[in-house]
Amino acid sequence: MTSLSVSARPILTDRRTMLALLLVGMLVVFSQISPALVRPTLLVDITKFGVVVGLLALGQTLIILSGRGGIDLSVGSALSLSGIVMGLAVSAGVPVWPAAGIAIVTGVLLGAFNGFLIAVVGIPALIGTVGTLFLYGSLALVISGGRAISGYGEAGFPFIGQGTVLNVPAQLLLVLLPAYAVVGWLMARTRFGRTIYEVGNGDRAARLVGRSPRALRFWLFCISGGLAGLGAVVTNSWLQTARPAAGSGFELQAVTIAVLGGTHIFGGRGRLSGTFLALFVVILLNAGLQFNGVDQVWQSGVLGLLLIGSVVLNNLLSGEGDE
Amino acid sequence: MVNARLERIRRLAIWVLLAAQLVAFSFLLPNFLTAGNLGNVIVNSAGLAIVAAAMTFVIILGCIDVSVGSMLGVLAWLTGWLTTTQDMPVVAVLGIVVATGALMGSLNGSIVAKGRMTAIIATLGMLFVWRSVLYGLWGGRDLFAPPLVPWLGGMRIGVVPVVGLIALAVFAVLASVAKRRRFGRDIYAVGNDRQAARLNGIPVDRRIIGAFALLGALVGLAAVMQMARVGVVQAFTGRDFELGVIAAVLIGGTSITGGRGSLSGTLGGVLFVAVLQNGIVLSGVPPLWNGVALGAFVLIAVGSDVLLERRSGQEVPA
Repeated sequence: MTSLSVSARPILTDRRTMLALLLVGMLVVFSQISPALVRPTLLVDITKFGVVVGLLALGQTLIILSGRGGIDLSVGSALSLSGIVMGLAVSAGVPVWPAAGIAIVTGVLLGAFNGFLIAVVGIPALIGTVGTLFLYGSLALVISGGRAISGYGEAGFPFIGQGTVLNVPAQLLLVLLPAYAVVGWLMARTRFGRTIYEVGNGDRAARLVGRSPRALRFWLFCISGGLAGLGAVVTNSWLQTARPAAGSGFELQAVTIAVLGGTHIFGGRGRLSGTFLALFVVILLNAGLQFNGVDQVWQSGVLGLLLIGSVVLNNLLSGEGDE
Repeated sequence: MVNARLERIRRLAIWVLLAAQLVAFSFLLPNFLTAGNLGNVIVNSAGLAIVAAAMTFVIILGCIDVSVGSMLGVLAWLTGWLTTTQDMPVVAVLGIVVATGALMGSLNGSIVAKGRMTAIIATLGMLFVWRSVLYGLWGGRDLFAPPLVPWLGGMRIGVVPVVGLIALAVFAVLASVAKRRRFGRDIYAVGNDRQAARLNGIPVDRRIIGAFALLGALVGLAAVMQMARVGVVQAFTGRDFELGVIAAVLIGGTSITGGRGSLSGTLGGVLFVAVLQNGIVLSGVPPLWNGVALGAFVLIAVGSDVLLERRSGQEVPA
């Protein structure tokens, strides 16, 4: 009996078990109130609403994991600005694929500026990325004059955002899953992954074993920015327009998904698989609300409550909090 | 502690910046230095000033509240609803809106203190929650309210706007609370070291909830003033209001990591932000640039603060 309770406890208290149960519970509830939603084809199809935010949540998880109050609130604005830069490039006559490359590079540069402010200057990540949230968001509005930029129809580019492979959205199969697979492999098998956890558990200890927390954080912000740029490419391919506010509000979703997935807000603890499951919880929740005619603004309100609830839950479970 | 000389330089910096800005705009913009325009600057920024005064306390505590813009929207709607449907005297409307604001603020503060959450995460969540509440109340129809009372709007005594005097009074009261009352001293202590404050018997949770409640109450006052001036509530009323407030406090020299800051600095910061926005409008630069300028000034203010503290040998906490 004793051995059973000891071995059963980690499985029962593991955030991933909880999220899996939550997913099943939501499917049961939705199959009662809106049976039309709970069909395999539709459930696969709605995953495309989570691909872009899933990319942002991936970068967010890495940054929060690295500790010392790490967070990137600028990801939504970085997505908007990268998308607009790509739109302007296409309008200026750059072919669409190189322009997509420019969007990703723009994202990396925006991330590098965050990394400079936070890892080099030493501004706390929360306020630094709130500053760039407004800075990048306003720049996207300023350089586009507040207008959407359309026209990315050439050379199979729409396939990324609109195509399907065996009824599975291409953006899930060709963008999101590879991104999680690559980062998951890095986390599990390489020194880079171990360094994130070491730094996340305390700068001083990590420095003693020869790691540089500053360099790591700088690169993590670059990765987060690059993923926002990739998200902008997917968005432009899907909607065929670059909107100056395309990513507004995404930072809330990305942080919520990372924290709901069990990533502790003070770093060092959390798993990519938790973030991945939490992504599907949020996709299903949003789809369920949307399906029942609940407006987008209310959805973000529910998400706000979910964010607060999941942080409080993490604090209660770990017996810690902000002190 | 930061050494005294750096502290003095930092305190002086905002007033030097403000003076430089005033001189530059006076030369560049012919319509800037007129009693009419400066009066408008004060009327338009009185709400910002009042909220920034209370935000100073919250930031000195080591917290922040990014939900004030959404709260302003909800409270402006409440003001409009009370005046159009309930036929109440202005004083009653003011009392109800300020009390509701205090309740909303204490809810924010309770989540931070009792839920032991980082304030920015908690209030980021609440930003969207309050915005949803406003959206529900608004229900697809803009709410128009008749002019409330002129003294809460654009009324002037001679050339001096009444709301400017109200804002000054709020600053005077809060500055004296910060210096002379236990509440004020406790807030600096909590911001400097929350653990130590707790060990010294300071009721940390109550101070946090109190500061957030005060902030909410003053957002209520700002909402009533906004309705007296503008007279309409839309789904996005108050959006991005928090940026100007936080920018004013940080540019005014209050440390984002808590424990250090002053009401007089915030007053300078508010004037700087208000004059900057006015200058952008007068010079014909598209108002979209407002966000760029404010975001950049926040980063410069916080960045220079962090670098100064580092040079004076103090480790900056995350």
